[in-house]
Amino acid sequence: MRKRWIGLAVLLLGAALAQAEVRIGVTLSATGPAASLGIPEKNTLLLIEQGTFGLPKGVKVRFFVLDDGTDPTAAVKNTKKLIQENRVHLIIGGTTSPNSLAMIDAVAEAKVPFISLAAAKAIIYPVDAKRYWVFKTPQTDELMSKAVVEDMVARGIKTVAYLGFNTAYGEGWAKEFAKAAKAAGLQLVASERYSPKDTSVTGQVLKILSKRPDAVLIGAAGTPAVLPQRTLVEKGYRGQIYQTHGVANPAFLKVGGRFVENTLLPAGPILVAAQLPNAFPSKRPALTYIAAYEAKYGVGSYSTFGGHAYDAWQIAKGAIERALKKARPDDLAAFRKALRDEIEATHGVVGVHGVFTMGPTDHLGLKFNEAAVMVRVKNGNWVLERTFR
Amino acid sequence: MDPTIFGFLLSDGLISGALYALVALSLVLVFAVTRVILIPMGEWVMYAPLTQAGFLEGRLPATVGLSALLLLVWAVLDRRRGRAPWLLAGWAVGVGLLGLAGVRWPSLAGPIAFLVVLPLGPASFRLFFEPLPQGSVLLYLILAVGLHFVYKGLGLAFFGPDQFRLPALWPGELGVLGLPVPGQGVLLVAAALLAMAGLFLFFTTLYGKALRAAAVNRLGARISGISVREAGRVAFLLATAVGAAAGLLAAPLTNASYDMGFLLGLKGFVAAILGGLVSYPLAVVGGGLVGLLEAFSSFYASAYKEAIVFTLLLPILAWRSLSALTLEEEE
Amino acid sequence: MSRAGLLGLVLLAALPWLVPPFYQTLLVFTAIAALVAAGLYLLTGLAGLTSFGQAAFMGVAGYTSALLAVRYGVDPWLGLLAGLAVTGLFALVLGLLTVRLKGHYLPLATIAWQVALFIVMGSWVGLTGGRTGLADLPPVRVLERALTDPRSYFYLAWGLALLYAGLLHRLVHSRHGRMIRALRGDAVAAASFGARPPDLKLWTFVLAALGAGAAGWLYVHFIRFVNPSPFSLEASIFYLIMAVVGGVQSLPGVFLGAALLTGLEQWLKDLLPLVFGKTGNYEIIAYGLILVGILLLAPKGLWPWIEARLPRARPPRPEGPGLSPRAASLADPLLEVRGLTKSFGGLLAVNRLSFEVRRGEILGLIGPNGAGKSTTFNLLAGVLRPDAGSVRFAGREIAGRYPFETVRLGLVRTFQHPHLFPEMTVLENAMLGTFPRTRAPLLASLFWLDRAEERRAAAEAYRALEAVGLAELAFEKAGRLALGQQRQLELARALAADPLLLLLDEPAAGLRAGEKRALAELIQGLRERGITVLLVDHDMELVMHLVDRVVVMHYGEKLAEGSPAEVQRNPAVVEAYLGGVA
Repeated sequence: MRKRWIGLAVLLLGAALAQAEVRIGVTLSATGPAASLGIPEKNTLLLIEQGTFGLPKGVKVRFFVLDDGTDPTAAVKNTKKLIQENRVHLIIGGTTSPNSLAMIDAVAEAKVPFISLAAAKAIIYPVDAKRYWVFKTPQTDELMSKAVVEDMVARGIKTVAYLGFNTAYGEGWAKEFAKAAKAAGLQLVASERYSPKDTSVTGQVLKILSKRPDAVLIGAAGTPAVLPQRTLVEKGYRGQIYQTHGVANPAFLKVGGRFVENTLLPAGPILVAAQLPNAFPSKRPALTYIAAYEAKYGVGSYSTFGGHAYDAWQIAKGAIERALKKARPDDLAAFRKALRDEIEATHGVVGVHGVFTMGPTDHLGLKFNEAAVMVRVKNGNWVLERTFR
Repeated sequence: MDPTIFGFLLSDGLISGALYALVALSLVLVFAVTRVILIPMGEWVMYAPLTQAGFLEGRLPATVGLSALLLLVWAVLDRRRGRAPWLLAGWAVGVGLLGLAGVRWPSLAGPIAFLVVLPLGPASFRLFFEPLPQGSVLLYLILAVGLHFVYKGLGLAFFGPDQFRLPALWPGELGVLGLPVPGQGVLLVAAALLAMAGLFLFFTTLYGKALRAAAVNRLGARISGISVREAGRVAFLLATAVGAAAGLLAAPLTNASYDMGFLLGLKGFVAAILGGLVSYPLAVVGGGLVGLLEAFSSFYASAYKEAIVFTLLLPILAWRSLSALTLEEEE
Repeated sequence: MSRAGLLGLVLLAALPWLVPPFYQTLLVFTAIAALVAAGLYLLTGLAGLTSFGQAAFMGVAGYTSALLAVRYGVDPWLGLLAGLAVTGLFALVLGLLTVRLKGHYLPLATIAWQVALFIVMGSWVGLTGGRTGLADLPPVRVLERALTDPRSYFYLAWGLALLYAGLLHRLVHSRHGRMIRALRGDAVAAASFGARPPDLKLWTFVLAALGAGAAGWLYVHFIRFVNPSPFSLEASIFYLIMAVVGGVQSLPGVFLGAALLTGLEQWLKDLLPLVFGKTGNYEIIAYGLILVGILLLAPKGLWPWIEARLPRARPPRPEGPGLSPRAASLADPLLEVRGLTKSFGGLLAVNRLSFEVRRGEILGLIGPNGAGKSTTFNLLAGVLRPDAGSVRFAGREIAGRYPFETVRLGLVRTFQHPHLFPEMTVLENAMLGTFPRTRAPLLASLFWLDRAEERRAAAEAYRALEAVGLAELAFEKAGRLALGQQRQLELARALAADPLLLLLDEPAAGLRAGEKRALAELIQGLRERGITVLLVDHDMELVMHLVDRVVVMHYGEKLAEGSPAEVQRNPAVVEAYLGGVA
């Protein structure tokens, strides 16, 4: 008789425990052109799943990770699958801007909160009925452009040329940088494009050289960013070359070698975590993250893109804990709404890219001077050049 | 436009053109003998320098295992053909040993990488194309696309998404007519011309003619004692050799990554078609044309460069089509 | 429609209520892919034109509708019309250039404008929003209801897909469809029956593009986001793969391919992480291997492989009235050749040849090798233009006219090597002969308005088959016929065109003795039907016993003319055959 009661109690307990599960869906670009961004994101998520960065108390968290191959259609299909089949409470991902933009309708329709890992401001701005459900952690191109332009102005640069990817990444940078440069009185003398798979950019570089700019900004990501810089250097360019935060991974340094010496780039603080002044808020979490990532994936392997996933988790973790007080995970609609509200209520969460304080009109929550630093490549290493604090 | 810029663009266009020409030559070779449009060639062109990079970093690249595996599968498939399975198994072992040698002596990484990648071509023919001797060109094309997916996916798994930098065989620059031209670029152009001459001459020999006959009329070729199967394997072997060499020579200039192959293959294909898919010299001319068009349009309108190159292709195609005397069977 | 088809439709309509929402979404994507693949069925499977540019057409229509909606608030339904119109225009212009290209140049041209359009879509940021794309597109509305959920969109998408498939099915089984299929194998033969290859090819091109355009519109208003990614060369290749793997020469095949590959993508995403763990990304490798595996197993595609193993119903015998017979000509002689001359460069192949063919007779045209018989034949048939001379047929001058014109007048030819279409049935091959006697325009074929004429054409062709003794094999694929039967089919096809004068080009070549006798009887029988025959052949025994009169050619000139007996006694003829060096 006692056994039966115990059995029932265990069953009920099991059921209760089984229901207290928060499901998080992830769709990111681990293959395709944005793989160098998506792979560190995925690696970080695998670490998160193992609990390396802490798990919310009182509930089990389950991750569903899908690859979208840098294709917006696949991103949307994955999103719908995660929502409809896996019944997730939260979606994280959308490595590239087009992917995230494409996902907005799907998450808004289903009323599921979404933390994007892509750059474009349009993903979260303006916060209308659909973007009510959408948040993001990476700095916007606007923010990073501002950093670059401020640095250029401080160095007395007057004329600048742009050479960027013909992808959404390069396009976003082209637009924002042109805007920021104009506002600061810099003259943009050339704006050229190239494809990440190109084997030569001689034409573009010659065009730029003919305009003799004081500085050149290369709007590219990953190792394909080396080719234009190398061509510029080989053809004798002596001005200052800037890159974007898209190159903030170790492969760039390895492939670039001496050609990328002295490059300046804006980056999230995590890139030079150890060199930050101790008062810099992101220093501690960045060092923790780097240590954990390198422990699993090798020394020097971390990249700033993985950091965006880490930040998303910090936000999500806190939000989950607060939301659990207001709703139960097995009530799908209610918990999704509560989670969304709590993400929006994020206040002072210190991530590796800055401090996040969100609100109804700001679904990013980063402050310029805490989210960007200028980094220079010296002797094949990332060296902190300046902060904006 | 000032003459220095013109000169730079010209030399850049010709060097890129040489790379496209080499890819085009390998595609024409395979098509002329087997009617296969070998899209995965782009992947193999990249595999060679990527394998070399692996050796240079002191790793054993997975290409070694893949090559050996394909050879062993081939040996099993041909197990009833006399000595063939033993030769193939021996070749597989040889590839493995080469791999180990490459790790031990990285200064030989280039030639070893070439030899490691070489079996991929004929083995792919044996495993995937030989079983379908009566296929239409469209069928072979879709098969080739399937293989392209496989090799590209394997490329990502083996080498990761990043580019690799490779040391030049001929570092530094030469002065050519007052213009600095990278030595490696000169090598590439020389290789293209050499390959073109070589292939042209090869196909004037009896053996070469026999290979061509095998594609045009299978039954007739077999009656004449030409093995259609052997023809295909030889063609794939030669083509892979040309492609791997192209990749090894070009990579120091362009870097190498797993996903650069498709676009290279496409441009090579364009050049090959400009040669009607039958002529080696015209394929090289086609390659040069594509390279030059590209170089100049990237100067004038870089955002639309590919659109310009491909649009300019259309009138050229129309002209070539009108002047083509006989058409191959419309397929 | 057959009962199986009706059942299938009902099942399809019920499907969205039976499957969970994500699968409804997948089914929508399947329908979109099927629309594009169906266009490829027409373009590549039937007309033999391989296109790598269908995704670009999707993009043209998709962007048109998206831009109109975002910038001018235009309703998506109007966007569909605008999108199709713009796509049709693009297809017309690009098609005019592309369809005249021969061989491999055609696919490369499609690659060229596919890439060019893709780049323009991405780089013309001001117009299209560039690579980042345009979000917040409006949904399709039906009667106040926004079709945002996959279930309602399922009906929209499948409705369009099935409508398009229905149109194509109708087209393929009409006179235009047969001609399109004939074009693929043998443009020369098709032209001999009245087809104008460039026109037909252009039509198929535009139709295929419209299918892709509709798919593009469906796509952008389903996801409500547009950027160039789905309209790339890679996407075009995917659609081609779907069509080929499923079976590009059949409608069920392309639909099967679309469903299979859409599902495969998802299935691999579920399965592979279970097998290889989460860290790998092996879907594309598995995808490629499965693709290769299917093609090795079923080179013509999965559907033909499946179909061959299904029981097949026998179609009914075509019955009923045939087509209206041609008015008999009273002209006698029926054919008058005066001073016909043709040279090739310096070689004078035919020199001032004059002869006539009387109504109701069988005339043989003979001569040693190199005499100019084939050239004369081709001049009469309209394949070659004479340099000088006149050819009067049934009272009209026809020298230099094209085959498709003369065939309408009743001058029909056969070929020395049978120019048949092996993938079409014997009956369909014979029906090709009726093309110049039928009139339904393309649009009528699409919308089912040509049924009556089709039935009569089928009956006519069936009777022609009966006349030559092939009626038993009417529904077999023509590729399975033996040589003798192929000749009979050629003859049947010619008969179906209701000829006044039949030009037979070496009809006995390659036949055995018994077959030759049967052939001779057949030709005799033609005379009883009021058909005049001109035949060219090398078999002296056959010719001399069959024909009423003979014209002997030598070195391009007429050497002798008369009855077989007269000609055999003519010393000049004997010398030409035995004395001359052939």
